[in-house]
Amino acid sequence: MTTLSAPTISAPVRTRRRRTPRLPPVLILFVLLPLAVEGFWVFWPALQGFYLSLTDWDGVSAPRWVGFGNFTELFADPIFRTALVNTAIWLVLFGGISAAGGLGLALLLQQERRGVGFYRAALFTPVVFSLVATALMWQVIYQPDGLANRLLGAIGLGSWQHSWLANSSTVLYAVLLPALWRQLGYVMVLYLAGLKGIDPVLYEAAKLDGATKIQQFRNVTWPQLRSVNSVILSVIVIDSLRSFDVVWSMTKGGPYHSSELLSTYMYSTAFQSLQLGYASALAVVIFVLAFGVIVTYLVRAFREDAS
Amino acid sequence: MDNAVLTQWGQAGLNRRRFLAGLGAVGGAALLSGCATSATSTGPVKQTSGAVTIQSNLSSPQAKVAIEALAKDFSSKGQATATVNTIASETFRTQLPSYLTADNPPDAYTWYPGSLLNGYAKKGLLLDVDEVWQGMSNYSSAFRTLSGDGAGHQIFVPTDYYWWGFFYRKSNFAKWGVAEPKTWSDFIALCKTLQGKGVAPIGVGAGGDTAWVASAWFDYLNIRINGAPYHRQLLAGQSRFDDPRVTKVFNQWNTVLPYFDPQSTALDFQDATTSLLQGRTGMMLIGTFFADAAPKDILPDLDFFQFPVLDPAVPLAEEGPADGYFASSRTAHRAEVMDWLKYVATAPAQELYIKNSSGTVLPTNPDAKDSGTPLVAKGRALLESAKELTQFFNRDSSDALQPTADSALVRFIQKPNELPSILSDWQAAAQKVWSS
Repeated sequence: MTTLSAPTISAPVRTRRRRTPRLPPVLILFVLLPLAVEGFWVFWPALQGFYLSLTDWDGVSAPRWVGFGNFTELFADPIFRTALVNTAIWLVLFGGISAAGGLGLALLLQQERRGVGFYRAALFTPVVFSLVATALMWQVIYQPDGLANRLLGAIGLGSWQHSWLANSSTVLYAVLLPALWRQLGYVMVLYLAGLKGIDPVLYEAAKLDGATKIQQFRNVTWPQLRSVNSVILSVIVIDSLRSFDVVWSMTKGGPYHSSELLSTYMYSTAFQSLQLGYASALAVVIFVLAFGVIVTYLVRAFREDAS
Repeated sequence: MDNAVLTQWGQAGLNRRRFLAGLGAVGGAALLSGCATSATSTGPVKQTSGAVTIQSNLSSPQAKVAIEALAKDFSSKGQATATVNTIASETFRTQLPSYLTADNPPDAYTWYPGSLLNGYAKKGLLLDVDEVWQGMSNYSSAFRTLSGDGAGHQIFVPTDYYWWGFFYRKSNFAKWGVAEPKTWSDFIALCKTLQGKGVAPIGVGAGGDTAWVASAWFDYLNIRINGAPYHRQLLAGQSRFDDPRVTKVFNQWNTVLPYFDPQSTALDFQDATTSLLQGRTGMMLIGTFFADAAPKDILPDLDFFQFPVLDPAVPLAEEGPADGYFASSRTAHRAEVMDWLKYVATAPAQELYIKNSSGTVLPTNPDAKDSGTPLVAKGRALLESAKELTQFFNRDSSDALQPTADSALVRFIQKPNELPSILSDWQAAAQKVWSS
C-alpha cells in the first residue's frame, strides 16, 4: 500500500511545483516592500482624505462626523460652481491648445534641418523653470505698467490695455497663458518621441500609393500616435486638474474668485479658512473627475484594441 | 529530493508567513500611529536646551533686525537665552495650528490679540500669562482687556501698537497747494482739486497679495457711521452683511469711489506706496507699517490726517492694532518663557525695539518713550483722543473671515453697481465661516 500510494502523494506536489513557479523570498520582498511603502505613504493618506471628507475638522480639535453633509453643502456653494466652471474651461483650453499646439510644433520640428535643435530647446526651456518662477515673471509682464500693456500701447492698441490680473473677465485667460507657455514644450517633446517611433517604411508605402501629406497624416501618423495620445491625454487631464501653483502665485484665485479653480479653492478652504473636512470633500471631487476622465478614455482605448 | 524540496518550501512558506506577519505588524503600527487627525504631530522646530525659541513673523528687514537685537539683549542679561526663527508671514499664519499642536512646539510667538487666539486658548493650547501681567500694572486697562481670553486669564503680552490714517507727502501737498481736510466735505473738495490736477486722489493697494488693505475703508466707514460696538457685533456674526446699516456704509463709500486710483485693485500696497511717494496718487488710507517699504530719507516728509468724522453723534473710534507675544502651553521652558515675556513688557526692551525698527510704532508700556518724531507724536495724540479703539477687520473677527471681506470689497471697488448681490454673497460666505 505504502509503496503504491507514495507516487500518488508526490504527484500533486510535483504538479503544484510546476504550475506555480517558486517565488524566491527576495522577489517577494521586492514586491511587498514597495507596496507597503506605497500603502503607507499614498493609499493610507488617500483613504484618510476620504474619511476626512465626511467630517467637520478644523485641524486642531477632533474631527466631527457629518456624513455626506460636506458634499450637499458643496453643490449649493456658488464659489464651488464658479471653480467647477473655471476648471472645465481650463481643462478644455489648456488641454486642447497644448495638445493641438504640441502636435503642430512636433510636426514642424520633426525633420532634421539646420537649427531645428535650437528651436526644440527653446520651446522646451519653459518646462525646466519652476512654475512659481514662471508665474512671478508673468506677473511682472501683466503689471498695469508692465510689458504687455506697453507693447499694446506701442503698436497703437492702447484701448486694449487692461489690468490683466485684476480684471475679472481677463484674469483666467491671463493666468492660462503662462501655464500653456510651459505645457506646449512638454507635449511637443512627447509627440516628437512618438513621431520618431513611426516606421519610415509606412510613409514610403503611402507615398508610393500616391497619398497626399494630409492623407499621410490622417492614415499613417495619427493612427500610429494612438498610444502616445493616451499618455498625453492622461498627462493633460491630470496636469490641468492639479494646476495650482501658477494660479495661486499669480492671483490666489482672485479677484473675488474669478480665477478660482477647484485646486485653489481646495487650498484656500483648507489652509485659509481651516475647513479641512470641506476641503477634503473638494479633493474627493477632484479625484473623481480626474479618475473618471482617464478611466473612461482607457476603457474605450482598450475596447478598440480588442476589436 | 522531494522531501528536501518540501522542507525548503515549508521553510520558504514559513519565512514568507513570518514576513507577512511582520509586515502586518508594521502596517498595524502604522495604522495606529499614522492617524493624521490625531492632535499630535512633531513640529519642524528643534529646540536647543535652555533657550526660549521665538517663532517670529516679523520678516520685513527692519523689524527682523529689531527683534533679533531684543533676543540678543535678553540673552546677555540673565540665565536664559532666546533664539528667533523668522518665518514668512503667510506661512506663519497657516502653520500656526501645527506649531501649537506639536509635541515639542516653539515656546513664544509674535502675534496679535483677537478671536483667533481666544479659539486656541479655549482648546488649552496657550500659556496662561497672568504672572507676567502682575508686573504690568501700569498698562492701560484697554490693553489688559484686549489680552484676556474672555474667561478671566491673560494669554497675550502686547508690546507695541500703531495707527491708521490718510498718509501723504508734505512736499506734494505743498506743490499742489492743498491742505489737510478737517471735514468730510473738505475731503471731497480735496479729492476734486487733486483730480483736476491730473493726480489720482486716493491710492489703495488692494491688488496682488494685499487685498486686505481695502478692509481699512470698510472698518473706518463702519465705525464712523454705525460706531465701534456695531462694528464688533457685525464681525462677530450678530448682525448681517446685507443689513441696511451695512448698505449705508457702502453708499457712503460710493460717493468717493470716483476718486479712487484706477489701479486700486491692481497694485499691492507696496507698489501703491511707490505711486504715493512718486506723486501719482495724492493720499492713501494705510497703517504706519507701510513706512517700512519707504526709503528712510523720505520719512520726515510723510504726514497723515485722521479719517474725517461723518456723524459727530457717533463716539470717535480709531483703528489702533496692537502686536506682541503669546506662548504655547506645551512649552518645556515655562520659567524662561515667563522671563522673556516679562522682559518684552519692560520699557527699555520696547525702546530698544523701536530704536532698531522703522520707529513708527508706539510702545504699549506707558513708561517707554516712542521715537519722538512729530509724526509719531501726532499718531499718539490721534489714538489718545479716541473713545474706542478697534484692531482691524481680521483681528476683530478672524483670519477665516478676512478672505470673504477681500472678495466683497474688491468686487465693490470694481463693480459698485452689483452691491446687492455683493452683500448677499458676502453674508453667505461669512455665514459659512461663523457656523464652522
